[in-house]
Amino acid sequence: MTVTTPVRDSASRPPPAQQRPIPLRRRLTPFAFVAPAVVMLVIMLAYPVGNAIWTSFNHEVATEPGQGEFVGLDNFRAVFGDPDFAGTAVRSVLWVFGNLVLQVLVGLVIASVLNQRMRARAVVRSVVIIPWVVPTVVVALMWRFMLDPSSGPLNELLLSTGVVSEPPLWLADTELAFPVLILISVWKWTPFVAVILLAGLQSVPDEVREAALIDGATMFQRFRYVIMPHISTSIAMASVLTIAYSINNFAGIWLFTRGGPAGSTETLTTLAYRYAFQAFDFGRASAVAVVLFVFVFLVSCVYFYIVEGRRR
Amino acid sequence: MNAHASHPRLRRTGLYALVAVVLATVLVPFGWMVLSSFKTPAEIRGLTDSWLPGGLYLGNYQGLQDTSFVTYFVNSMVIAVGTTSIAILIAVLAGYGLARFNFVGNRMLLIAIVTMQMFPAVLLAVPLYKMLSTAQLLDTRVGLVVVYTTFAMPFCIWMLRNYFLTVPVEVEESAMIDGCNRLTALWRVVLPPTMPAVAAAAAFCVIQVWEEFLYANTFIDSDELRPLSVGLNSLIGQYSTEWGRLMAAGVLMVIPVVLIFAFLQRFLTQLAGGSVKG
Repeated sequence: MTVTTPVRDSASRPPPAQQRPIPLRRRLTPFAFVAPAVVMLVIMLAYPVGNAIWTSFNHEVATEPGQGEFVGLDNFRAVFGDPDFAGTAVRSVLWVFGNLVLQVLVGLVIASVLNQRMRARAVVRSVVIIPWVVPTVVVALMWRFMLDPSSGPLNELLLSTGVVSEPPLWLADTELAFPVLILISVWKWTPFVAVILLAGLQSVPDEVREAALIDGATMFQRFRYVIMPHISTSIAMASVLTIAYSINNFAGIWLFTRGGPAGSTETLTTLAYRYAFQAFDFGRASAVAVVLFVFVFLVSCVYFYIVEGRRR
Repeated sequence: MNAHASHPRLRRTGLYALVAVVLATVLVPFGWMVLSSFKTPAEIRGLTDSWLPGGLYLGNYQGLQDTSFVTYFVNSMVIAVGTTSIAILIAVLAGYGLARFNFVGNRMLLIAIVTMQMFPAVLLAVPLYKMLSTAQLLDTRVGLVVVYTTFAMPFCIWMLRNYFLTVPVEVEESAMIDGCNRLTALWRVVLPPTMPAVAAAAAFCVIQVWEEFLYANTFIDSDELRPLSVGLNSLIGQYSTEWGRLMAAGVLMVIPVVLIFAFLQRFLTQLAGGSVKG
């Protein structure tokens, strides 16, 4: 992720093969335009990333005197050695893949529906996308009220229709909280996936679709051989973004359960936050964050590969 | 024969049923929030049989005056205006540079900018906390503006660059022959036709500010400096049993983003497509 690359490369750039050399001022113009952004990104993104990686190899606890003693892999050992770590890591993977599978599947269905000719399609499209722009804190407020064991409407409905006899505690239940959080996250983020997939679906030419229909292709065949080739890139993009966004999703957990009850919704992201700003152990927090970073970095490489691959 | 093709009416009905299910799933929580914000405390506790409020009870909204809600709202607006103006200014320049000049590493930079969207926010929380602390910007709105600008910028650059590519170079060249330099050409000739994209990028920045919670929660300590995301969450803690008042706060917080979204809506495919478009 070296943002500085272009700036450094400029020095070694051979002068363009023209009779009069371009004045230095003109040659520097392009960099003048990009410079503010590059400077800002280097200071506020590249440096912090480097600093976080360095901190992960140091003993650095904000509440203790004597900062920044190099301790090698001690933080990683301590983090991995925590008896709860394995469970949290597995839960993070479940969180990512639960979100991924559900969002792509539901997103595909919604995108297909939104791509059909129907009345008031523009209105339907806008309404469906609303959850994506609503801030997570409001999503949390809404759903915490919907799911409130005593005054929430869902339990009232379930009890009055006799579906359940005991009111479920939802977010306060160690077994229910995690799946419920995944569903709420799917509720908020699927619209985003659906919009990307809809863009893909719109690239399928009508003639091709109709030709397949006339040739008597079944629904599955049409999807597999006509639509799929057109939207496979969109699906890949949506998947990669969903993986990255969901692993990084902090508010989507913290604002509902703070990782509880009894750690049953803790992921690596909330764990890193807990280390950093509850225990003030910056070293260990950075170690957890670096693990996350490596994961997201690998996902980004896949993204890069898709973007590049499509270009050819 | 295809079962679906032979029963167009059945297919229609199925489609509309599906649409209804999707719309209901999206709208019911919102509807419930809006309805509840007009309910009296007794109605919320379910003491009446009706699911609708008995009348237009405004006590929940008036009750927000006793809380810091207005302060939070103003803070969010201040932060949003600051973030948006700086991010757009820098992104216009960078987006133009990336669209018009072909320098070595151009593609790398572009890819870097896009993948930066994926950085774990929590990875940067600790170093940014330390940096803001050193710069004495911890617990200030300026600090949040700087951080938010950084995170909103990559996407704005990406989006504006894609739009600048659609403006013909000839227009600009003729402006430069007429005596404009690069900057004035950008301002007078290139920017006007791309205003919709600039507006959409600005809207995106505001939505980001409204959404962000992790950094606001970490970098702001004083109650009177909190933006809405953190502020509403602290209200949830304080007034946990007064659902009506909280719902009123939620409704008021959502109104700006829904308005912006209504405007943004026609750019939406391009927005989400920004990650798809090469």
